[in-house]
Amino acid sequence: MLKIDDLKVSLEEEEKQIIKGLSLSINPGEVHAIMGPNGSGKSTLSSVLAGKDGYIVDSGAVKFDGNDLLEAEVEERAALGVFMAFQYPIEIPGVGNMNFLRTALNSQRKTRGQEELNAADFLKLVRGIAKELEISDEMMKRPVNVGASGGEKKRNEILQMCLLEPRFVILDETDSGLDVDAMKLVSRGVNNFSSSSRSFLVITHYQRLLNYIVPDFVHIMVDGKIVKTGDKSLALHVEDTGYKDFLQLGKEKH
Amino acid sequence: MNHVNISNWYNSLINEFKSKSLSIEKVSRRSEYWRKSNLDIISDFVDDTSQIDLNSINGTCLYEPNLTVHGDILELADEKSYEGLSILDVIADEDSFAKGYFGRLEKKSQRLVPRPLARENTLSPKVGYVFNFSDNLKKPLVIHNKTSPSASSCFQRNLIVLKENVEATIIETGNNLSVFNNVTEIYLGKNAKLNYLDLTGEDNLFPKISHKFCDMAEYSSFNHFGLRLNTKATRTEIELHLNGRGISTSIANVCLLNKENHISDENVLINHNAHECKSRQVFKSVLDNDCTSIVRGKIYVEPVAQKTDGYQSSRSLLLNENSKFLCKPELEIYADDVICSHGSTSGSLDQESLFYLLSRGVHKNKAKEMLISAFISEALDEIEDGSIKSALSNYIDIWISSFFNE
Ligand SMILES: Nc1ncnc2c1ncn2[C@@H]1O[C@H](COP(=O)(O)OP(=O)(O)OP(=O)(O)O)[C@@H](O)[C@H]1O
Ligand SMILES: [Mg+2]
Repeated sequence: MLKIDDLKVSLEEEEKQIIKGLSLSINPGEVHAIMGPNGSGKSTLSSVLAGKDGYIVDSGAVKFDGNDLLEAEVEERAALGVFMAFQYPIEIPGVGNMNFLRTALNSQRKTRGQEELNAADFLKLVRGIAKELEISDEMMKRPVNVGASGGEKKRNEILQMCLLEPRFVILDETDSGLDVDAMKLVSRGVNNFSSSSRSFLVITHYQRLLNYIVPDFVHIMVDGKIVKTGDKSLALHVEDTGYKDFLQLGKEKH
Repeated sequence: MNHVNISNWYNSLINEFKSKSLSIEKVSRRSEYWRKSNLDIISDFVDDTSQIDLNSINGTCLYEPNLTVHGDILELADEKSYEGLSILDVIADEDSFAKGYFGRLEKKSQRLVPRPLARENTLSPKVGYVFNFSDNLKKPLVIHNKTSPSASSCFQRNLIVLKENVEATIIETGNNLSVFNNVTEIYLGKNAKLNYLDLTGEDNLFPKISHKFCDMAEYSSFNHFGLRLNTKATRTEIELHLNGRGISTSIANVCLLNKENHISDENVLINHNAHECKSRQVFKSVLDNDCTSIVRGKIYVEPVAQKTDGYQSSRSLLLNENSKFLCKPELEIYADDVICSHGSTSGSLDQESLFYLLSRGVHKNKAKEMLISAFISEALDEIEDGSIKSALSNYIDIWISSFFNE
């Protein structure tokens, strides 16, 4: 589904390479976790996959279902089925949440040549999802994320995911800032949503999340590269010993 | 020259004002009130109104029920609880009630800011209406300006008086098809309330200056909303006199310009002359293609005006490099127990917000529209009437999608 091949990415503003030769292959139905120290480039990788401005791809390729993902516009990537839950979801004052959600959904449907959803069907759909994630009506009526707590913003991200039904989901530290109950809620949302045709890239600092969303693979990212890949036990190892074993690996590969 | 009959009271007013006019600073680029403004506004005022469409009340047309305002049906005043007169009849009438009002506010509003064009208007009104409301208007009244393209100029003079406890909503629409100089004097009695929506001049090519002066008695309220959609050279001068306690007022303006070098020029002066009054000013300008929006907003607080609450916010969204937002907020405060604040910002579309919307699949044009519309919403929120607000908001959204995404 997603194939990243020796990707190198620098910042546009300054001459600094952040992703330094990263390869990763994700098949339908797989859950991949990425762990790594602060500043190793995890969020940069998700931003590049989602199509954010400000980065220069020095070399390498990213294919999504055979399409050149890096060539596609941001909104085209979304319509292809790529979704990134932001590490820090922003607030957009003046844009009503419902209006935003409906516009997003119908824009994607339009791009894919599907019929737009009418107001009534949309409402039914979104209310059902909000209920499962225990997001209040009042929150739904607000402008996007305005006045929402950190945890509420993360839940809104998951609501968007459930509504937009992407096939490839990046969760960038969705667990950070969630209390225990919210984490269970979010994990349940993700697990209900997962299927044999959907894939996940879960970025996290905490092994705890991986008890709920069980990964098929765990990658350790250090200094812009994946230095180690293993199964879920690798996350337990990190929890015990930190990244010190891997920092050295990062340097050796230079 | 058209021949107008004039009453003795108007005649003596002319004589008095003519001599005083000499001391009013003339319009010039050097004046702080005109710097960077478009001086076309004052060009070509010649004395010819022969071509002006004198329909209904001179040069204006009053709409009655079930008019569509910008595509949305608004229910309008059905029973006539008001009388509309022509300004020319009024200044000819020896016994008109207007003699206690006409020209007084214009004179008073020359104190801090020179307004030579308003004075010219006083000395020779050509068309206009006079309303004296003694009962509530249950539904909005729409006033549609009509001028004919062949008229080379127009001095429009209006007078609106609301008696104690009277509430009214007036929506003004229509383009000027010639250079236009408007003065409207508004008197609000105790506890009276006027909502005024100035929606004139969409795509207007002709220069226009519009003055609104409002005298307010205690507990009255005046809410003004102005909309500038690609007006080429429009200047508005609003001056309010808050003369009794407990007055509240809001001046909001939305300005969307994207046709090359268009200018909108908004000037507001709020005189707090009494205690416990509240004034709000909210300006939002979205500018593309080298357009300019000027905002001069001043709050003047007299020593007696304790517990004044004055708020002013002027913000612009600049969609191209050479567009300009020239903003001059001013506070002149002579009372010590007041809360006055002002804020002004200028910036381009927020890239983080844009990315967020795009990343959820919203098309680029639509995303921009949503952000522009979000940007101006704070000004629209000043409109109290929900149905007018949503009709206008829909209309503006459609306008944004056709003009900012060509
Ligand atoms: N726009 C930018 N401007 C300057 N530096 C940047 C920018 N984006 C990323 N960086 C730098 O790139 C490096 C990687 O940042 P990134 O946010 O990808 O790390 P991360 O692995 O997600 O870290 P964390 O675990 O703290 O979220 C950091 O050193 C960061 O400072
Ligand atoms: Mg990060």
